[in-house]
Amino acid sequence: MRTFDYVRVENTSAAISEAAKPETRFLAGGTTLLDLMKLNVERPAHLVDITRLPGLDTIEVSTDVIRIGALAKMSKVAAHADIMDAAPVLSESLWRAASAQLRNMASIGGNLMQRTRCTYFRDPGAYPNCNKRNPGSGCAALEGINRNHAVLGISDACIAIYPGDFAVSLVAFDGTVLVRGKVERRIPIDEFYLLPRQTPNLEHQLSPGEMIVGIEIPRVAALKRSHYLKVRDRASYEFAAASAAVGIEFEADGKTVRDVRIALGGVATKPWRLRAVEEALKGKPIDEATLRTAAATAVDGAKSSGHNAFKIELTPKVVARALMTVGDIA
Amino acid sequence: MTNNKQLELNRRTVMKLGAGVAAVAGAGVNLAPNAFASEPAATKAASLGSRVSRAEGPLKVAGKARYAIEQKLENMAYGVTVQATRPAGRIVNIDASVAKALPGVIDVYTFQNTLKINKPTVYSKGGGATEEFTPIQDDLVRFNGMHIALVVAETFETATEAASLLKVDYEDGDAILDINDPEAKPMLIEPMGVAWGDAKVGLDNAEVKIDVTYTTAREYNVPMEPHATIASWENGKITVWEPSQWVGGARSVVAEFLGIDIENVRVISPYVGGGFGSKIGAHPHVGLACVASRQLNRPVKVSLTRPQTFTGLGGRPATRQTLSIGASKDGTITSIVHESWNETAIDEVHVEACNNVTKIMYATPNFSSRLNVVPVNTVQPGWKRGPGENPSAYALESAIDELAYALNMDPVTLRLANWADVDPSNNMPWTTRQLREAYAAGAEAIGWWNRNPAPRSMREGRELIGYGMAAGSYPMIRTPSEAKIVFHTSGQVEVLSAATDMGTGTYTILAQTAADYLGVPVETVTVRLGDTSLPRSALAGGSQQANNLTGALVKAAENARTALVRLAASDPKSPLQSLKLPELTFEKGTIRPTRRPAGGISIAELLKAVGKDRLEIEGNTFASGATEDMKNAADRSFAQLKGATEGSVSAHSWCAQFVEVGVDEDFGTIRVKRMVAAFDSGRIFNPKLAESQWISGMVMGLGQTLLEEGYVDQRDGRTVNANFADYAIPVNADIPEIQVISVGIPDMQATALGGKGVGEIGVVGVAPAIGNAVFHATGRRIRSLPITLEKLV
Amino acid sequence: MSAARQLSLEINGTRRDLNLDIRTTLLDALREHVDLPGTKKGCDHGQCGACTVHVDGERVLSCLTLAAQVEGRPVTTIEGLQTADGVLHAVQTAFIEHDAFQCGYCTPGQIMSAVACIREGHTGSDDQIREYMSGNLCRCGAYPHIVAAVRDASSSLKEAAL
Repeated sequence: MRTFDYVRVENTSAAISEAAKPETRFLAGGTTLLDLMKLNVERPAHLVDITRLPGLDTIEVSTDVIRIGALAKMSKVAAHADIMDAAPVLSESLWRAASAQLRNMASIGGNLMQRTRCTYFRDPGAYPNCNKRNPGSGCAALEGINRNHAVLGISDACIAIYPGDFAVSLVAFDGTVLVRGKVERRIPIDEFYLLPRQTPNLEHQLSPGEMIVGIEIPRVAALKRSHYLKVRDRASYEFAAASAAVGIEFEADGKTVRDVRIALGGVATKPWRLRAVEEALKGKPIDEATLRTAAATAVDGAKSSGHNAFKIELTPKVVARALMTVGDIA
Repeated sequence: MTNNKQLELNRRTVMKLGAGVAAVAGAGVNLAPNAFASEPAATKAASLGSRVSRAEGPLKVAGKARYAIEQKLENMAYGVTVQATRPAGRIVNIDASVAKALPGVIDVYTFQNTLKINKPTVYSKGGGATEEFTPIQDDLVRFNGMHIALVVAETFETATEAASLLKVDYEDGDAILDINDPEAKPMLIEPMGVAWGDAKVGLDNAEVKIDVTYTTAREYNVPMEPHATIASWENGKITVWEPSQWVGGARSVVAEFLGIDIENVRVISPYVGGGFGSKIGAHPHVGLACVASRQLNRPVKVSLTRPQTFTGLGGRPATRQTLSIGASKDGTITSIVHESWNETAIDEVHVEACNNVTKIMYATPNFSSRLNVVPVNTVQPGWKRGPGENPSAYALESAIDELAYALNMDPVTLRLANWADVDPSNNMPWTTRQLREAYAAGAEAIGWWNRNPAPRSMREGRELIGYGMAAGSYPMIRTPSEAKIVFHTSGQVEVLSAATDMGTGTYTILAQTAADYLGVPVETVTVRLGDTSLPRSALAGGSQQANNLTGALVKAAENARTALVRLAASDPKSPLQSLKLPELTFEKGTIRPTRRPAGGISIAELLKAVGKDRLEIEGNTFASGATEDMKNAADRSFAQLKGATEGSVSAHSWCAQFVEVGVDEDFGTIRVKRMVAAFDSGRIFNPKLAESQWISGMVMGLGQTLLEEGYVDQRDGRTVNANFADYAIPVNADIPEIQVISVGIPDMQATALGGKGVGEIGVVGVAPAIGNAVFHATGRRIRSLPITLEKLV
Repeated sequence: MSAARQLSLEINGTRRDLNLDIRTTLLDALREHVDLPGTKKGCDHGQCGACTVHVDGERVLSCLTLAAQVEGRPVTTIEGLQTADGVLHAVQTAFIEHDAFQCGYCTPGQIMSAVACIREGHTGSDDQIREYMSGNLCRCGAYPHIVAAVRDASSSLKEAAL
């Protein structure tokens, strides 16, 4: 690890002004940043410790929106009674991630900034060729061991997976990222993350000096009947082989879909909303066959790089099962 | 690059090792010498066979058990190794100038400024090393991940940063990276082949045949304590704090590394944070620490990072086995034809003895087995719990399940139908073989006879349910050892041995043994282990240590009783001096007149009366007339190791494993719902600790079966998942309730006190039991480990 | 160049003034600088849980925490769990009773995690204990006994609180 200056700030303005320095990173939970610094992937010259900024760890569940401060810990949000009641998918996507200790450390804002687990990205000493780290240097994963690389949203420059869970829920339910820099901005979560295309080094919409201060999720009916299904070899403490955040709202008949939300994790380069599958299901009464047929299109456009072909088989089954679960037909 | 001379192994040693020198179970206690533990752990409770809690438990739960590299030494420097990123070829240059310029960097050692590390003698040639490779001696790149430099600095942070600043130029060479590479050159290990009858004819004439190939992945031991060492050179002598399963072996290796007399080497291994076979030999990083300490004349601590533990030393090699079994329609096996291949280092030989179970489990008139190694550019593989037996049982017991389905016979019934009354590989009688009892107990406990045997016939919701079972064995090896008892006037009794305890329970059972055979309260016994200054012991490996040491300790106790009675009768100051030797009795820690039970004196009282501070009594299990060289060989090599067929009887531990699995019909995810196993480990010295060992093996077996696989990039030989996030070992949520049952009886032909091996048998048979259950659940036979979800989705 | 920094930490109720390389993690500060090696290093990357300590009473990983980050926030390590006169915590006792460890290397992390797990209320069932103790790897495979120990300690602590 390269050495750095460390400064702890007491208010958001100070944080943003500190961040104007080059090669600066905000340090919150540290669970991604310190890990990557030890790997020499992240090499900041300045660390701005924002963990003690006041007022950014609040959790509010009002009648029409859920607001979560950027410094709220994953564990606190996951265990928040109103969240568990109003938005099970948010709680589940949090407590099924990482471990209890990591969730006590990691902040919601930091969670959104989690970076890929691509083993080649994480091994700069052996693999200088990584377009995400060194633009234009190539991609070691394309023809390497790519069992846990993306099949959706990939490019010939990068197949690194977006590894998180919580943002998948946010994408399914149209969350908004609240950002403060020189100005305040609201960025729809689906636009927050960028496809790799030819610039996988650019992962999100934040500019240097901008800080996530919170997120908002509109309370829609489907959020109440929602679920996060995470499939993996190990029963816990593992990234998803494939996951789905889903929610459903029925018409008064209790079986016809009025609204449905579906997003994928563990298979794409960013949290992956399945709007086409959603549209295909709207207005239809659900049964297992209908769900499986619709879910089969979840991987339209997917492309295997070799070891990850199974994700293309697996994903529709995960989508179907998640929907069956919230539809009470599992 | 393959050096065929390496194949000129000492045949006898190879045969012995084939018989199962092995990894170890669990971890242990160290009733540590005062040098490294503030308070020696003392056991509190009862005699051999009782459920005494772990003696060092109070220290471990309080964070007070100080492991090897947790010693506080003045003026310690920190060493960080740098590993190659290419698989073969040569290092053209290592530019360390930037690293050396970093304030706090003391020095950087590479092949270009060689610190001499002598090649150690490997175990197959009579030494204590598990690999011959010594780093930074030449420019040759043998495998991706080999140590190529050591950076030493004043702090860990500086050393770590400096290690990342070396610029290494390579000239690539051709590499063999996989056991299946067509360019690879397999080598037959002829001495470890086994054959009787005419296996080919037996197979050709069989009414029912199965012909299968089973493979296992490269696996890693990854004990929770990373491999690390502190070397401290002082005035021509060196002290090494090293997490070790075998301080005697490490001592000889360190002496060889440095080219110094072994008397100038002390190895201390206070507590060992797991090993499972990976801490038997002192690995190359220990050599780096030792020579750096001598060069700098100060203590140097070298800790491998977690990723470095995947290539700084080897785990279990990948294996491939072909197995053909012929049987008559009534289920009588008529022939078994077996061949195996395992990876080995490009210029060293490690044989995974994949026929160790195959050759003894079933009666068959015809049998043949051949073992091969395939040199590839990898770190020299090593022993991982149940080496040989584990993959051997995997292929055999999976194939037997396949045969059972081919015959439409129950798998337990088929096994009983082919019961081996004697060891079929040599016709020697078994010592004890409570395997029928194991089948019965395991089947009963899991509800085996209630299952619907048809594949894919049982389900719960979306989960397919399957039951599977398998048997296993582990050979009883033994090495003579010694132990010392020290009596103090305080009433304290010390038990001393160089052996280490990785959680296997050695501290505890030795205290129990001493208490039992001396008739003293167990809480007065203090056990000190893990130091080459203590009496000689073989390795904690191959499931032999408990029996080796209890045997030696009982000898010491017997000697002590005799000596104490003699002292009481002969010393002029003894209160019992008036009595003759035959008129005295030793009982319950006292020496008393045989005819007057109340007239005795305690050991401490005797010592005080005769004016002795302490009395040291030794005992050993060396052959009578054993020379010092032979005794040292028992401590530092495998030369004195006795195999499973010593005395023309065949001694093994046995197990029957039963599991219930649930397989998600959509996702292919396997969750083990119950595990039950019955074990014949002979007499159990402490059921509480033995059960932990068995469960430990079963959990490791579950990981091997469902999760663990080293992913090697076929372009450069790099293990790309060398960490705990990507090389998944089981977590708590993976593990169901586990029931273990002891069906053993004291086996006095196997060992002095009737015990057999405990530590490794737990892992044997788990993989085939789970694989067989997956077949029962799904109707799909997966013949490669691990059974990850993509194989079933 | 490594920037040294004067830090004042509160560890197990004792103030420790240290001059540390700013890069020093809480884990390395404990093990290498204040001679509290009970907290273990198993992976140094947040993948094993061996380094679990309590900061502000909550379980966190000391390997992914800079020592500088915990200034002014009380840290409890395994060495600080027992009472001042040496009485073991109920979880420590339960681990011995159930033989919930072998090599003992993951044990301090398991115990710190278990104490927090009970405090969090995540011991409602064996399955919940398994899930919420899954952040602590144990290669000796003591998991069934760890679950039993946590279950027992949880109920004995509940009884004591009544």
